[in-house]
Amino acid sequence: MYYRIIRNDILKSKAITLTTTIFVAAAAMLVSLAAILVVNLSGSIDTLMKRAETPHFMQMHSGVIDIKRLTAFAEQNGHVDEFQVLEFLNVDGVQIVFGEGSLGDNVQDNGFSIQSEKFDYLLDLDGNVINVSDGELYVPICYMKDNTARVGDKGVICGKEFTVAGFLRDSQMNSTLSSSKRFLVSKNDYAEIRNLGSTEYLIEFRLKDLSALVAFETAYISAGLEANGPTITYPLFRLLNAISDGMMIAVILLVSVLVAAIAFMCIRFTLLAKIEDDYREIGVMKAIGLRVSDVKKIYLAKYAAIAVAGSILGFALSFVFRGMLLENIRLYMGESENSSFAMFFGIAGILLVLLAIIAYVWVVLRRFRKLSAAEAIRFGTSQEKSVGARSFCLSRNRLFDTNSFLGVKDVLARKSLYATMLVVLVISAFIIIVPQNLSNTISSKSFITYMGIGNCDMRIDIQQTDNISRKAAEISKTMRSDSAITKYAVLTTKTFKATKSDGSEQSIKTELGDHSIFPVEYSEGRAPAAENEIALSVMNADELGKTVGEGITLVIEGKERNLTVCGIYSDITNGGKTAKAVFSDNSAGIMWCVISAELADESLVSGKVSEYADRFDFAKVSGIDEYINQTFGSTISSVGKASRAAIIVALIITVLVTLLFMNMLVAKDRYSIAVMKAFGFTNLDIRLQYVSRSVFVLIIGIVLGTLLANTLGEVLAGTVISSFGASSFKFQVNPFSAYLISPLMMAGSVLIATIIGTSGAGKIKIYENIKE
Amino acid sequence: MKKIIMGENIVKSFGEGDEKRNVLDGVSVEINEGEFVSVMGPSGSGKSTLMFSLCGMDGIDSGKVTFSGRDLSVLKEQELADIRRTKMGFVFQQPTLLKNLNILDNIILPSMRDNRKNAAKITKKARALMKKVGIAELEKRDITQVSGGQLQRAGICRALMSNPKIIFGDEPTGALNSKYAQEIMDILSEINAEGTAVMLVTHDAKVAARTERIMFMRDGKIVSEMRLPKFNGTHIDDRMIKVMAKMREMGI
Ligand SMILES: Nc1ncnc2c1ncn2[C@@H]1O[C@H](COP(=O)(O)OP(=O)(O)OP(=O)(O)O)[C@@H](O)[C@H]1O
Ligand SMILES: [Mg+2]
Repeated sequence: MYYRIIRNDILKSKAITLTTTIFVAAAAMLVSLAAILVVNLSGSIDTLMKRAETPHFMQMHSGVIDIKRLTAFAEQNGHVDEFQVLEFLNVDGVQIVFGEGSLGDNVQDNGFSIQSEKFDYLLDLDGNVINVSDGELYVPICYMKDNTARVGDKGVICGKEFTVAGFLRDSQMNSTLSSSKRFLVSKNDYAEIRNLGSTEYLIEFRLKDLSALVAFETAYISAGLEANGPTITYPLFRLLNAISDGMMIAVILLVSVLVAAIAFMCIRFTLLAKIEDDYREIGVMKAIGLRVSDVKKIYLAKYAAIAVAGSILGFALSFVFRGMLLENIRLYMGESENSSFAMFFGIAGILLVLLAIIAYVWVVLRRFRKLSAAEAIRFGTSQEKSVGARSFCLSRNRLFDTNSFLGVKDVLARKSLYATMLVVLVISAFIIIVPQNLSNTISSKSFITYMGIGNCDMRIDIQQTDNISRKAAEISKTMRSDSAITKYAVLTTKTFKATKSDGSEQSIKTELGDHSIFPVEYSEGRAPAAENEIALSVMNADELGKTVGEGITLVIEGKERNLTVCGIYSDITNGGKTAKAVFSDNSAGIMWCVISAELADESLVSGKVSEYADRFDFAKVSGIDEYINQTFGSTISSVGKASRAAIIVALIITVLVTLLFMNMLVAKDRYSIAVMKAFGFTNLDIRLQYVSRSVFVLIIGIVLGTLLANTLGEVLAGTVISSFGASSFKFQVNPFSAYLISPLMMAGSVLIATIIGTSGAGKIKIYENIKE
Repeated sequence: MKKIIMGENIVKSFGEGDEKRNVLDGVSVEINEGEFVSVMGPSGSGKSTLMFSLCGMDGIDSGKVTFSGRDLSVLKEQELADIRRTKMGFVFQQPTLLKNLNILDNIILPSMRDNRKNAAKITKKARALMKKVGIAELEKRDITQVSGGQLQRAGICRALMSNPKIIFGDEPTGALNSKYAQEIMDILSEINAEGTAVMLVTHDAKVAARTERIMFMRDGKIVSEMRLPKFNGTHIDDRMIKVMAKMREMGI
């Protein structure tokens, strides 16, 4: 008999059962996709880095190099397994031409290498070490993605012609976040072009045991070896490789949690509605001593069946989409070795969703226990009356018209039922706004202030050259007399030795100059203002174990000087380990120099960029938009894509749930509808009442959702962002789209869904429903 | 006498195909302004169906219903609703009040639909009516907090709010004990005395005995009619005896 009850129940509510199944399937699919992606991403990165034999420690260096001394160090240090110095020939982008266009306005440091002999191999798209012949050129994979070059194209490098023989994966520099890109040419060709650019050295080590990395780093620094350039270690290479796709996975995970929540809401809604409908019957069963737990078991079985069906469907669907999502990972990193593992984790994720649903149903069904038999039989409804609703009387209402009043009143009187719809709308608003704000934030100009770069219009890099200070002075002189430039700042980076608390030494790359002109975001403290102050990047602060207010000793001009840490900021440039200070120093060599400038009018940017680039050919000049675009471009575009997808998903969810909700409400409210019609309310009146119910819930939902998005959402997004190395985080909101367009889209969806969902109200026959 | 409602040869069926049968099988009725009529008949004879057809809540298969000279079949849903709200009043066996609203709000609801600006006036009128039927002190109560008889009186107040030309009652006293039933009938008689036509469906001879014309239905047809002088508060027992004799004759 119970079985029949449940079967009828499913048949009667086909639509909502189907929808619940679909949401469960979607949640299961997303969770399993996220699991599969995580495993594949880490697997692909592992495979790539293993095959390429990525260095465990790499020091970039420009200037004079003493290979003998380095070799001696490597031989003598017990941790070192292998050691090599590679050359990286920096060539100005203008000198690299494919077809019509050059890489002149590309912000990457494009350079040439030969295949290395011991480790750090450049791989082809099958994951094999490339063997390059004379006249052939292998191009970094990112230029395949953006269609800069194709296999078979002619490439002209410094006047010498090459044929693009293929694309390469570079385990070090694949990510758009790493600022250099290596092209591969043969030894002979390299020798020919060698004098046409500036040479930088990659001093690379493989260790016997990666866990000795920190000890090795310290040893390298204290040996006072070549260090004129960024240092990058194995874990950072991993991180750089993982970021873009990692962001996508984070968004998928977030959405999957929310979709699961919506599946829960659908379940809650059907269950509550069912319990309300069956109130009297369940009460009678209780009163005559039947076991309500049997009914509970059957409901539980029903939802278990739905959950299992949804999970299987979701798992199947994840197969359809995984190829699409894995595409980027496969392109950049190649196949993963542990894809069977991935399957296992995918299934585990689905089981998790399944268990969560069953547990949730069990919790909701505990309401049966609270149900009072006497009340149920006497009144047929639950007597819980909400406090706010009672004093909200039609006779005293002057605010709303009667239909709106009835709508609002109903929402107030049946709060727990509408709470379900509210939660769905809040979640939808959240899904619409958070990714959109995140996308807007990371594509905004000021986002770079979280990344350790001031907010400016134009940026000039002077590096890998000599006489940096003279050249910088030359540029700054020009800028001073340039009326189009409203302000500019010259920041020179030098290395100083710092003494750690344990007495060991570490070199810190310190940017010297006025940091108040183009400030970055400080997660703690503020920018250095006095001679004895220094601000540290998060990674440096962690490594040195310093917090704001503590002292740090630096060796400046040969003397130890005590400085106070005045601030901590996030930085992703130069391996994330930097510092900012204002003191003057005349001894240490300049590693590089960055000049940032703000223009009177943003429209001047491109003109100024080419003007300065022509005039100062030793410097790399870029507009900041271009700089951001090329550094974070792929991340921005994948988050942008994700946020658009999220909006569509959220709107579909809104429409579906509202539609079902209204449909069920009309079915439940047949009696009241019939009564109102009998007493002269038109079908239009009834619909208006339903519309005002949804609008009321919608307004609360949008307000709550927006508030939540800007608080919890910001924290969540901040957590994602912090994986970049940024730590303090504020949304950059585009009010027009977040506070006008998004609510309007939601309102539109809800209204349409309500109007369609309540179309059944017109068909309700007064006579058949009023009889009771 | 001016006719307020005229039903001519009404046919209405339920069901499809073989199941199909006429619940109203060529019924003609006329009700004059200010008249007090009742309909009796065995269960399932079509009394309720007739009433719902006359007030335009339910469509008919053939025949014609006119209200104050207007043919209901050509009116739109909205116009029918407008007529029900402004010209007719209804009292059902079960008090059809909305759960969400308190007693007062239930009573003023239909009037507030059109005339929200006059809320104060409407509320005042509702309070006067509630006082008249003796439920003045219940206005703030929820509908689960009062007795069945009190609910039924609230239903009558709601029906009277628009000063209707006619009140339809489908067994308005059916769910009440005889004391409450008499009180409701007293109220209805009083309203009728003030000029409002009343049409009741009832099984109760005592209720029918208060009306001036009784129609007897069987199998979808009006098979007989009985007239009594207008009730003036006296001779209720004589009237009842007459009605009961007729009922026996009709086999009810
Ligand atoms: N929606 C419907 N579908 C099918 N048959 C119906 C429907 N409504 C009423 N009927 C049938 O029409 C007939 C007349 O119903 P109606 O409600 O008018 O009877 P009644 O005279 O009011 O009876 P009672 O005294 O029991 O209230 C009954 O046989 C009933 O079964
Ligand atoms: Mg009936």
